[in-house]
Amino acid sequence: MTVEVNPEAVAPSSSAAQDRQAYLTHLLAQRPKPKGLEKIRESALSIVQERCLPSNRDENWRFTDLSGLYKTAFTAPTTASLTLEEIDAFILAEAPVRLVFVNGWFAPNLSAIDNLPTGLSVSTLADAGNLPELGQQPGMSEVFTALNTASFADVAVLRIAKNQVIEAPIHLLYLTTGDTPIITSPRGLVIAEANSAATLIEEYAAVKTASYFTNAVTEVGLGQNAQLHHYRIQRDAKAAFHIGMTSVSQDRDSRYALTSLSLGGQMSRHNPVVVPTAEQTDTTLNGLTLAVDQQVADTHSDLSFTGPHCTAQQLHKCIVDNRARAVFNGRVFVPKLAQQTNASQLSRNLLLSAKARVDTKPQLEIIADDVKCAHGATVSQLDDEEVFYLQSRGLDRNSACDLLVEGFAAEIIDQLPIAEQRQTLLNAVLSQIR
Amino acid sequence: MTASVENLVNQPYKYGFVTDIEVETIPKGLSEDVIRLISAKKEEPAFMLEFRLKAYRQWLKMKEPTWPHVDYPAINYQDITYYSAPKEQEKKKSLDDVDPALLETFDKLGIPLSEQKRLSNVAVDAVFDSVSVATTFRKDLAKVGVIFCSISEALHDYPDLVEKYLGSVVPINDNFFSALNAAVFSDGSFVYIPKGVKCPMELSTYFRINTEGAGQFERTLIIAEEGSQVSYLEGCTAPMFDTNQLHAAVVELVALDDADIKYSTVQNWFAGDENGNGGIYNFVTKRGLCAGKNSKISWTQVETGSAITWKYPSCVLVGDNSVGEFYSVALTNNLQQADTGTKMIHVGKNTRSTIISKGISAGRSQNSYRGLVRMGPKADGSRNYSQCDSMLIGSDAEANTFPYIQVQNNQTKVEHEASTSKIGEDQLFYFAQRGISVEDAVSMMISGFCQDVFNQLPMEFAVEADRLLSLKLEGSVG
Repeated sequence: MTVEVNPEAVAPSSSAAQDRQAYLTHLLAQRPKPKGLEKIRESALSIVQERCLPSNRDENWRFTDLSGLYKTAFTAPTTASLTLEEIDAFILAEAPVRLVFVNGWFAPNLSAIDNLPTGLSVSTLADAGNLPELGQQPGMSEVFTALNTASFADVAVLRIAKNQVIEAPIHLLYLTTGDTPIITSPRGLVIAEANSAATLIEEYAAVKTASYFTNAVTEVGLGQNAQLHHYRIQRDAKAAFHIGMTSVSQDRDSRYALTSLSLGGQMSRHNPVVVPTAEQTDTTLNGLTLAVDQQVADTHSDLSFTGPHCTAQQLHKCIVDNRARAVFNGRVFVPKLAQQTNASQLSRNLLLSAKARVDTKPQLEIIADDVKCAHGATVSQLDDEEVFYLQSRGLDRNSACDLLVEGFAAEIIDQLPIAEQRQTLLNAVLSQIR
Repeated sequence: MTASVENLVNQPYKYGFVTDIEVETIPKGLSEDVIRLISAKKEEPAFMLEFRLKAYRQWLKMKEPTWPHVDYPAINYQDITYYSAPKEQEKKKSLDDVDPALLETFDKLGIPLSEQKRLSNVAVDAVFDSVSVATTFRKDLAKVGVIFCSISEALHDYPDLVEKYLGSVVPINDNFFSALNAAVFSDGSFVYIPKGVKCPMELSTYFRINTEGAGQFERTLIIAEEGSQVSYLEGCTAPMFDTNQLHAAVVELVALDDADIKYSTVQNWFAGDENGNGGIYNFVTKRGLCAGKNSKISWTQVETGSAITWKYPSCVLVGDNSVGEFYSVALTNNLQQADTGTKMIHVGKNTRSTIISKGISAGRSQNSYRGLVRMGPKADGSRNYSQCDSMLIGSDAEANTFPYIQVQNNQTKVEHEASTSKIGEDQLFYFAQRGISVEDAVSMMISGFCQDVFNQLPMEFAVEADRLLSLKLEGSVG
């Protein structure tokens, strides 16, 4: 299945738009073609071909340069096998249900789905059937999302039955491995039926590989009064590319809380798109981005209300060091029907070096008049007085700075449900900025 | 109660009359010939014609921007009259020679130009359609060395100064509308404050569009030399026509070392009727360059008119320790659309900027704040504080905020806050309980909401702006 492509052949020196078209054709040629779901794949394919890939002349990609991605000729994903020892570092003892995907395919030997709690059912492409729920969430026409729909090799389907509460976190682990730079398209679908509750830890990482392209999509459908705590941890390899969509719809009275950590990838992008389709929903979007060296880390969130009496809180934090760049764009749309909305949004950014760069744009669009909406953004560095205070208490300058950064990061990381993982990630953050 | 608040907004536009005066217009349309004709009519120096033609050729290659959050039918640039001027028999020597119909117009607008009735201590340059008709207090200003005249006069009398600074802050190819303006602008004001001079009075320009189908393209250039200080105010009105008129102005400010420029605008162009017919398309480029150390540029704007406003008064803070300020009240009603805000580009060290923006949207209008704060790699120790608040009156109004923050320096501090609210029933009730009617309560709350901005306006105009706002809103609250 591996197709050898000469990078020069993919990027001819004609106009940029033609280059992107050629690159798209190349990416599409790398698709694995499993059976089933032809209809949805075909419609996604036509969207991709019609829209083509974006460049930084598109408002949504203005600050994130994709040319690095377009210069790399990724090959089709290949099935690979890993052993439990090799993924030992990712296994969470407190999350007994574990689904592991390697290069986009389900890996039953690494997963733990034998003793599922009552109310939780798990399936993959092989046994999922027609999956009428797939591709029904908002934001599916975004081009990389459609590219995933046209290309995904396998899918993780989690279904939480009506009135069931799943206590222990469910661990969804997407790993990439192998010697050649491949493109993988991980896909997840979470259906939480009415009055159910669950906790999901979704994690992206690499094992023994450096350069690859992850184009992930996770769809979440919350029924009435359903509740989902969603933790998304992106710690791909530093040389990898990551583009991910988290697409969520919320029915009446449902609660959705996303905590997203973006640590890896030379270029990473996360698009959380949340649409509460009925009234009285509650949405929490929290995020932490760490960008060091030459990394570019981008988060574009979009929260569009459609009904009244909804609440939402968003806190996005970025730590940027060396020559890295972080981008945040948070859109909150409150149409006329969404009266009594209470939404707040805060973007806080910490610049640790003179060459680091932040572009942030909290964006409010409001048509309803009886609402309470606020947003804020700050960009600053470590406060000299705070550092001095800690030094006066006997800490050396470096430990003082570390402590302050740790505090900044911990506000988000501490929300993770598993203590062991919290510590691992906090250490990962601190080791990067030292 | 709600109904009466709604009713409060809809007040007739009292400046909507047309002055019946003989005007000289050129045929509609735009081409190199038209530009040559405008330049010839104004007897401009050769460099000016070059400038215009260069701009026109650039403009032909440019596309109209589509990113603003506004909606309007395509403009036919060949259906606009690019030059219109009141006919005059001979060069006027003093105000007494000015056509009495013109003086009366400005009297009606509350801008008396005749010697005896002048606003005390405010020098006025009155621009009618495409040309400046009168500038008051010129002699007094000349005594201290301040040059205040129309830009066409400046082109004759001080071509060196104009050539040096024109297009230095807003380059001709900066954007679609500024290029159009550079090609066809007919008049505007020119201010030069020499070294160390504190301008003894407020300077003011009053713009009036009169001819139907004419576009107004004025160009303002203010230069403040080292250690000088000036406060400048512009006002604008237009008659009511049911066709849209284009107003594409460019304002350039240059502040050298320790100079201080304060630029205030009270914009009350005709906004169209309640169904959105007619009104001015106000597509304006305003930019100030703090070129020198410790210089300061402050923009204050009260935007109440225009069918569409597209305007971002900006400060480019190049000089170390320079300061940029932006205070804005933008009110939209009926079907008005506004996409306005500012850009603060921090280039030099220890530069500071403050943005206070208040948006009020009523009726079915759209009001967007769009602002950019950029901290360049060398802007060590710079600081920005932005606050943009929106108030919604009525459930069909729209308020948007698009703040762009771009930071490339870790020795800086940027803070941005925004909130959206409405006038609460409980607040109105509190006033009612104290015996204050809904209308008065609303107007008090709005003037409170806008206080931070009105405080920045020169005294006489602060009062006027407050009144203007309550007039505009009359009938919309309750």
